[in-house]
Formats: sequence, structure tokens, C-alpha cells
Amino acid sequence: MTGPANLIFYALAALTVGSAVLVAVLPNIVYAAVALLFSFAGVAGLYVFLSADFLAATQVLVYVGGILILILFAVFLSNRISDVKISNPARFQWQAALLCLALFGVLSTTAVRTVFPLKHGLTYQPTTAEIGELLMTRYLLPFEAASVLLLAALIGAALLSRPDGKGKGSADMEEPK
Amino acid sequence: MPLGNFASLIHFLPELAVTATILLLVVVHVAGKNRQSAAPALLSLAGVGAALLLAALQPASAGRSLFEGMVALDGFAIFFKALTALATIVVIFMSMDSGELAGRSQAEYYIFLLSVLLGMFLLTASTDIVMLYLSLELVSIPSYLLAGYLKGRESSTEAAMKYVVYGATASGVMIYGFSLLYGLTGTTQIGEIGRALATGDAPLPVLLAAVMVTVGFGFKIAAVPFHMWSPDVYEGAPTPITAFLSVGPKAAGFAVLVRFFYTVFASPDVAAGVWKISSRVDWTLLFGVLSAVTMSVGNLVAVNQTNVKRLLAYSSIAHAGYMLMGFVLLTPAGLQAILFYLVVYLFMNLGAFYVVILVANGTRSENISDYSGLGSRAPFAAVSLAIFLFALTGIPPFSGFIGKVYLFAEVINRGVYWLAVVAALNSVVSLYYYARIVKVMFLEDPKDSTELPVPLFPRSVLCFLAIPTLLLGVYWEPVARVAANSVKLLAF
Amino acid sequence: MLTDFATVLVFMVLGAVTVALLLLVSRLVQPRDPTPVKLSTYECGEVPFGSSWVQFNIRFYVVALIFIIFDVEVALLYPWAVIFQRLGMVAFVEAFVFIVILLAGLAYLWKEGDLDWVRTMQDAPARKEGK
Repeated sequence: MTGPANLIFYALAALTVGSAVLVAVLPNIVYAAVALLFSFAGVAGLYVFLSADFLAATQVLVYVGGILILILFAVFLSNRISDVKISNPARFQWQAALLCLALFGVLSTTAVRTVFPLKHGLTYQPTTAEIGELLMTRYLLPFEAASVLLLAALIGAALLSRPDGKGKGSADMEEPK
Repeated sequence: MPLGNFASLIHFLPELAVTATILLLVVVHVAGKNRQSAAPALLSLAGVGAALLLAALQPASAGRSLFEGMVALDGFAIFFKALTALATIVVIFMSMDSGELAGRSQAEYYIFLLSVLLGMFLLTASTDIVMLYLSLELVSIPSYLLAGYLKGRESSTEAAMKYVVYGATASGVMIYGFSLLYGLTGTTQIGEIGRALATGDAPLPVLLAAVMVTVGFGFKIAAVPFHMWSPDVYEGAPTPITAFLSVGPKAAGFAVLVRFFYTVFASPDVAAGVWKISSRVDWTLLFGVLSAVTMSVGNLVAVNQTNVKRLLAYSSIAHAGYMLMGFVLLTPAGLQAILFYLVVYLFMNLGAFYVVILVANGTRSENISDYSGLGSRAPFAAVSLAIFLFALTGIPPFSGFIGKVYLFAEVINRGVYWLAVVAALNSVVSLYYYARIVKVMFLEDPKDSTELPVPLFPRSVLCFLAIPTLLLGVYWEPVARVAANSVKLLAF
Repeated sequence: MLTDFATVLVFMVLGAVTVALLLLVSRLVQPRDPTPVKLSTYECGEVPFGSSWVQFNIRFYVVALIFIIFDVEVALLYPWAVIFQRLGMVAFVEAFVFIVILLAGLAYLWKEGDLDWVRTMQDAPARKEGK
């Protein structure tokens, strides 16, 4: 990788990690959600560096354009939001920091020390057609199984989030104590 | 040579039956008017029954790789298909009779239930990590929905919430492990990954991957320390779903655990007829400790429970610990013991939960203290529950005893004495809390002496569960033989 | 391919710079003379009361959830569309099955009234009794 590309890579990595840290530490969840947007966008940029152009586009389409909006909606929807202080207070900071550092140590040591078999002579090629071909041939079963998963998720999402008075019906069992 | 996509369809009939039933359920719901009709339940029964039949008819002898190597069709997969389908049928019967679910829209419930079943079919047969991950999600996501199905009941919503958070974390960690394996080997086929790892020499990433994958599978079988979700989920979810989660996904979790670890991190030693660890990572010790901790935590915490569902949740954690004993031995006999135990466990655990449902329908309570005098209020249910509880304890002449004999015999046979001692001590502890319920039912005076009627239909379902529980305690040979045959084909 | 994405990067950087520049310029040239009345929230001349945090209609959330599911579906179908001509009928059948399964979901949403915005809100009490 040449110089400027390297620089852009580190900028993207910093954007991703920095925003992720902000998501974890910002006390206001709306700010945290916006920080998450930059983290997602940074990940999309990293995908580009991995020659995964389709994945990068999907990342923007699904995560930035979908999941994030959903998270913001969830914040706006929170019941009686003006009564409660919108915050996610941090607890057990030291223990958590220690644990995270240990995990970071293990993961980064593994990533750095392991000799992963590399594919040489990689050129940046559009991947969408290749993915499409694999989905239609080798990975057909996961592709079709995904549709059943999406069907269940679709029905479940509609069922659970639908506003209705159900659950207070007469046939409902009392809360067991 | 794996079969192609269209050639595989003929060997894929159970899965197709379940998928068709799911679609039919949607169609029936869309076309129908009455949301509480029994049609979805009956339709699901027919569909799962057909799937069970088709799975049983599949030739167990020929191990085949289907769909370009995505799933395997071998005795092991067929065994688990039949097991999970049977569990689903019983759970459908339980759901039809559950007071918690009455008055709620039915079709969605069965759509989720059958989606989980389809996921379990695929999960137990997966031989590719892409397929494996997707089918694990197909098991998990509808399970979350089912746990939170009692919309408006706080404990149910809490159960779903906790389940989602834990489940998402566990599967995230697991897929990180998968990515390490893919990075090391450059393939998604678990057989090829296993072969590549056997020749490679990189203990650190392999160990890390093994641990991370264990998180995902351990979450599914509710092994300590990945069990935190289960008591709350089991308590809050509708009782038929609690029963289902404690048997179906747990069995599927064991299936995928065995298939994955025995293919990726171990290789068959054909001469000795056992498996041997192929990498330098001694994961059997890890799982031995996990097994001991799981059964001990499950049993010791169960002692103090006052809610029956919570107690059974901890007991089911303990049983996962027992079954893990068979997993660490790397022998066909150890696997056979797991499979046999799962069959026995299916009947006794579903039976115990069914009685809980029947009692809750009458008393609207799940507290152990409200079971006082059940022996006189509902003798049939009380006697059945006593049978199931004694079987869960593992006392002769009940089937749980035979299941434990198989496990203990193989553990001792392989010389893992410390594990056998821990398990034996645990069985003693479990006797205490199981017997406590029996004591409350038969020896304590009822708070409310009105009779609890148990209609004919639940009675017959209870008989269907109690008879195998008793019968397998005296005549277990055929089931043990099926279990032994189902093990032979795996990975060899 | 990477050069194509360089265009994207340049575009994004230009966008960010433009916004920052405009904010900066307006900050530099604006007259600043704050009074308590000016600083209060503008409410069409009325004195503002209560909090600006009002609960969103939950139907936004339902629609957003449904959107995401179909979003993922489209993401999965996009590669199919790219190679559709090459694989022909086989790919058509395969994607057809995929879409049919999800159409069942669409039919469910339609029947449950999750897709129509106005009617469901009016009919909500009636629907409750019908259940």
C-alpha cells in the first residue's frame, strides 16, 4: 500500500475506534448514537481497503441507513423520556477497564503473532458479481435459509412492536409471584 | 463428493416439510378470520409429524454431503432431526393446553416454533461455518421472540430482552472465533478446517478460536459460565417455551458442539475407533472443568429456589453438565451416552414442565409452596410429576438412572475418575431438591383443598411422556442401539 | 476499484469541509447580542412550556423495523441481479423461492394492517375487540 493510502487507512481506523470509544463513554445516548454513525461509516471505509466493495455498500445501506435510524427511533420512542435522565451511567469502570485491556492484549497478540496464510498479488476488483454467483451456487442453502430467518424476524418485529392493547386481555394469566 | 443443490432436494424432505408448513401457517393466518382458532396448532402438528416421519425414513446408512457441502446427511443428523421434531410435537401439545397462551394470536407462535425447528434441523447437520452461523441465528432469533411472546407481561419481556443481549454477545464472540479459523485455513468447510489445523502449528489462535466458539455453543446449551440468561429466561418465558428451550435448542447445541469440535479440533483415529485431539490445544480438559462447574453450579443453586420453573432451569443447567461428561471422552460410547441421555431427558424434562403448566392453569402459581397437597388435589398430575422428578434425579428403576449409568460407565472406563466423583456428589445434591417437591406434594397439607381437574387430553399426553420415562428404565436396549448407530457415522 | 472509492472519499471530504466552512463563516459574520428572550425556544410567539421531548408515534418504529428487514433482503438480492443474466433460469428460480418466502411476510404485514398508517390508528379499538 502506498503512502497516502496508508494514511487514509489509519484515519479510518482512528475514526472507527475513536467513535466506538465515544459510544461507550458518552453519557447522553443521542450523542452516543451519532458517534455510532461515524463508527459504522469508518467500518465501511475499512471494508473498501479489504477490497470488499459490496460489503462496504451494504454496511452503509443496512447499518448507517437502517440500524442507526432504528436506534435513534428507539431513543425518541422511550416512554416518559422527559421524566428520566437520559444517560447510561458507567459502573465498575476499573474492573471493566482491566478486563477489556486483558482481552485487548490477548486479541492483539494473537492477531500480530499469528502467521496467517496470505493471498498474494491481490488486485482491487469489484466483488458483487462473484458474491452473487457464490450465493446462487455454493451458498444457496444459507441464502434460502436467510429468507426464512428474515420472514420470522419480520413477523416477530411487527408482532412485538405493534401498538395494541393486547396483553391486558381477560384471558391473561396473572404475573406469577 | 457433495451433492449439488438440486440433487440434494430429495434428501432434504424433512426440512422442506417444515418450511412448507411455515409458509402455510402464514397463508392460513392471512386468509383466516379467527386468530385464536386451533388451526395453526393442528397444521403445525401435521407438518412436524410429517417431518418426523420423513426424517425417520431417511437412510441412516449412507453419509452424504448435501448442498455443495453445506449440510451433512448422516445418522447423527437424522437422530437429532427426529429428536428435535419429537420435542416440538410434545411442545405443540403443551402449547395447545397452556393457559398463558390462550387468548393470544396463535399463528405467529407456531411460525416461530417451526422456524426454530428448521434452524435446529440445519444446525445439527451443518458442515460449513456460514451455514452453521446462519442456522444458529435461525434457532436464536425466533427463540427470543418466543421468550417474549407474552407481550404485556413484564417478566416475559424481561426474558426476551436478556436473551437477546446475551445471545447477540455470544454469537458475536463465536463469529470472531470463526473468523480466526477462516483466517488460518482459508476455507469455510469444517472438514477442511480440521484437516488444515491438524497439519498447522499455531496453538494460540486455535486456542482462542476454540474458546470463542465455546462461548457461542455454551450459550445454547446453557453451560456455566454462559448460563446467566437461562434462569430469568426460563422463568419469564411462557412455560411451553421454557420446556422447549430446555430440550430442543439444548439438544441442537450439543449436536453442533459435538460435530464442530470432533471435526475441527479432533480427528478420527480409525484404528482405535476413537477420536484424538488434532491440534496442540487440549480442549477436553477445558470442557471437563466446564462440565464439573456446570453441574455443580446448577445443582447447588437449584437447592434454594422457590419457583418451580427457576428450579427446573437450574436443574437443566446441571443436566447439561452431566451430558458434557460424555463430550470430553472422545469415544463413540461417550457420544452414545449423550444421545441416549438426551432421549431420556426429553421425556422426563418435558413431562415435568407439562405438569407445571397444568398446575399453573389451575392455581395460577408456579411456587413450590403452592404444590402442597397436590397428591390429593390432583393425584394423577402429582404422581406423574413424582415420576419425572425421580427420573431427573437418576434413581433406579427410572430411565434417568440408565442414562446416567451410560455416562458414568464411560467416564470411569476412560479413567476420568475425578469427574465421576463430582457427578456422583452432584446427583446426591439433586436428590435433595427434587425430593423436596415430592415431599411438598404428598406430605404437606394443601392450602386449598379443592380438586384440580386434569382433563383427558392432558392425561393422555402425560401418559405419552411418563410411559417412556418408566419403560426406558427397564427396557432401554433399542434406544441405546439407535443411539450407538447414530454415533458411528459421524465424521468417520 | 480503489480509485473509484477515492472519488467517494474526495466527495465526503468536500462535503464535510463545506459544512464546516459555512458554519465558520456564519459564525464570523453573525452579530451576537443574546438576551434571555432570544435564547428561549422559538414557539411561534407563544411562551414555550413543557419539554421538547415528546414521545414519537410508535408506528414510526414498526415501519422502521419492517424497512430494515426488506433492506437486508434487497442487500441479498443485489448480487443476484448483477449475475442474473449469466446464470439465467436457475438463478431466477432460486431468487423466486427467496422472494416468495418473504412475500408471505409482506402478506402478513398487509393483513395485520402494519402497512397502512391512518386506518389502523382509527380502527385500533375495533381491532382489539376482534382479536
